Amino acid sequence: MASLLELVGLRRRFGAITALDDLSFSVPGGQVVGFLGPNGAGKTTTMRAVFGLTDLNAGKVSWNGAAVGPAERRRFGYMPEERGLYPGMLVGEQLEYLGRLHRMSGTDAQIASKMWLERLGVGDRARSKVEALSHGNQQRVQLAAALVHGPELLVLDEPLAGLDPAGIDTIGGVLVEQARSGCCVLFSSHQLDQVEDLCESVTIIDHGRLVVSGRVDDLATTGPRRLVVRVEGDRDASWAGGIAGLMISEVNGGEARLVLDGDVDSDLVLRVAMGAGRVTKFVFERRRLSEVFREALG
Amino acid sequence: MTRTLLGVVIAAFVVLRVWIWRRRRATGHERVRARWGPFAGDVGLVAGREMRERFRGKVFRVGTLLILAVVAAAIVIPTLNSGKAQPQQVGVVGALSAPLRAIVVASATSAGATVHFVPEPDRAAADRDLRSGRLDLAIVDGRELIVDKPPGPTGTSATAQFVRAVSNDLGVAEAVQAAHLSAAQASALAAARALPLQSLQAATTKGAVHTTSLIGLVLVFVMLSQYNTWILIGVMEEKSSRVIEVLLAAVRPIRLLTGKVVGIGLVAFAQATLIVAFSVALAQGVGSDLLHGTAPVLLASTFAWLVLGYAFYCWVYAAAGSLVERQDQVQSLAFPLSLPIVFGYIMALTAAGSGSASELFKVLAYLPPTAPFAMPVLVGFGTVTWWEFLASAAISIVCTVGMARLATGIYRRAILRTGRRVHLREVFSRAAG
Repeated sequence: MASLLELVGLRRRFGAITALDDLSFSVPGGQVVGFLGPNGAGKTTTMRAVFGLTDLNAGKVSWNGAAVGPAERRRFGYMPEERGLYPGMLVGEQLEYLGRLHRMSGTDAQIASKMWLERLGVGDRARSKVEALSHGNQQRVQLAAALVHGPELLVLDEPLAGLDPAGIDTIGGVLVEQARSGCCVLFSSHQLDQVEDLCESVTIIDHGRLVVSGRVDDLATTGPRRLVVRVEGDRDASWAGGIAGLMISEVNGGEARLVLDGDVDSDLVLRVAMGAGRVTKFVFERRRLSEVFREALG
Repeated sequence: MTRTLLGVVIAAFVVLRVWIWRRRRATGHERVRARWGPFAGDVGLVAGREMRERFRGKVFRVGTLLILAVVAAAIVIPTLNSGKAQPQQVGVVGALSAPLRAIVVASATSAGATVHFVPEPDRAAADRDLRSGRLDLAIVDGRELIVDKPPGPTGTSATAQFVRAVSNDLGVAEAVQAAHLSAAQASALAAARALPLQSLQAATTKGAVHTTSLIGLVLVFVMLSQYNTWILIGVMEEKSSRVIEVLLAAVRPIRLLTGKVVGIGLVAFAQATLIVAFSVALAQGVGSDLLHGTAPVLLASTFAWLVLGYAFYCWVYAAAGSLVERQDQVQSLAFPLSLPIVFGYIMALTAAGSGSASELFKVLAYLPPTAPFAMPVLVGFGTVTWWEFLASAAISIVCTVGMARLATGIYRRAILRTGRRVHLREVFSRAAG
């Protein structure tokens, strides 16, 4: 049976501010799930709730049908938004220590630490202090800290923030690999293109409430059609302005991205475009995740 | 007992050195070995990390050496002064009769010194030897006493006490001679002794116990201040570095905090044990009177109250550390937190110095914040019974349990609140958490 993290009816208030408002969603095993929302939407509070780091006013977090307790949390891996490691402690010893806190034996923790540091490209820094590492390498060590004990659930708050392309590729590759091995992976990010590349599913929240949740493929193929048209010599897609039920989403390098209402005939669009000049591109495209995000948040 | 303690210290030192040597040999992670010693469970792991990081730190090593140096000085210097067996060099110009020599020798004995007579050909030679320091005193014709520098009425050096005694005793001898007393009368006068005094209040406690008491007070003060500050800063650093969120995702707050205070506490008591064992061995070695009389009981009592004092204060400082996340915030908290420690220390120093305890001081011996300083002083005075000692310890333990519960609650609610200093009223508000 695939693992399943379920969050049901989570409510959390901080004084007059409602951080979570009856929030419910689930994270299935074997998938990378993107957790999206604008700043202040409640993503970090939700992730903290999984680890019991914030008291809930209502709701429950369950793992494979049972309420999450300390024993379950030791099988989870967590990478908080504000990175945290002991600055003056050696990288290798730090990972071993965290592994031991998750109930690993000393030997297993040592072997796993070494393996993850090498896998993440910082194998030669095991004897360095964390404070001596670059930001990118600290990020890799932080991810190793979440992975060292072989967690069944990975909850990562902005794991890709501030990384160079090589770092994004490495960490992204590890997340996908973990999901393929059956792990539940939930991670938040504001870099929607990367989320679209990595995730099978996304959950979007706003003001502590669920807005959209589903598979990326499903979300991309629902809603209005997207049409990309290039007309030679045209720079601003002014030819499309007169078509009812059509909205110009963006114009970039002479290429217009158009959003068509359900009853707009694409043949009509083609004819109008051909009237404006030679049509060199006329393609239907999927809805981008950024468009899903913007439309979901209104 | 001393040999046993010395053996324990040496064995601990050897084990520590072997451990450090093995650590230094390991240059990577190729060697698979258990690093975390006998500790098991979250509390043990956290405590083990704290101990390892502290033992590694230069602050601990240098601090321990400094404390040992101060303790050694406090033990050895008094013995150097009291054990100064150099005889007083007394130059004799002209005749000095046998009875007068005997009086000079008796004066030296009464001042805790011995005498060596040096014949001088004349007054000028005696003056030269006095100026050069070869003589402490010159007696001219049994009537004149010459010194290089006046000893003063309150000088405490061996020479000053000797010179005053000789001056007084020879003066009395001359008066006896001038009074033409019979031999029996002179002998009776010479045998005069001061009448014993009976006081309405108990005698003040001085000497060895006084020294032991002072060393103990300084030890308790330094160690409580040092190790509680470590806890304050250690909790603050875990909060400011944000590692706390990673730790609390795996360990419950009560266990994390307990591991921290236990780890730092064990470092403190290892250091205290080393200092006490070193003090005992050194005192024995140099023949100090540090351990005479009730001093060993006082030493044991001081150690016990160091444990109880740490147990009480560590929770206070841990809770305070969870409220702050910057060094300047730590400093603003450290001062008010240290006030009860400083108050107890000053009150105890005053009492130990005066040799008597006021009623207020006796009350302080039952209050957990001040008892670690006040109770050992009362033990040194010999004015507390065993059940009074145990009653104070029981009060301290009960209050420590209460403080631990309160501190854990504060810690749990405040440690993840970042960005600014957390105030207690926010912690206890209903929305906290």
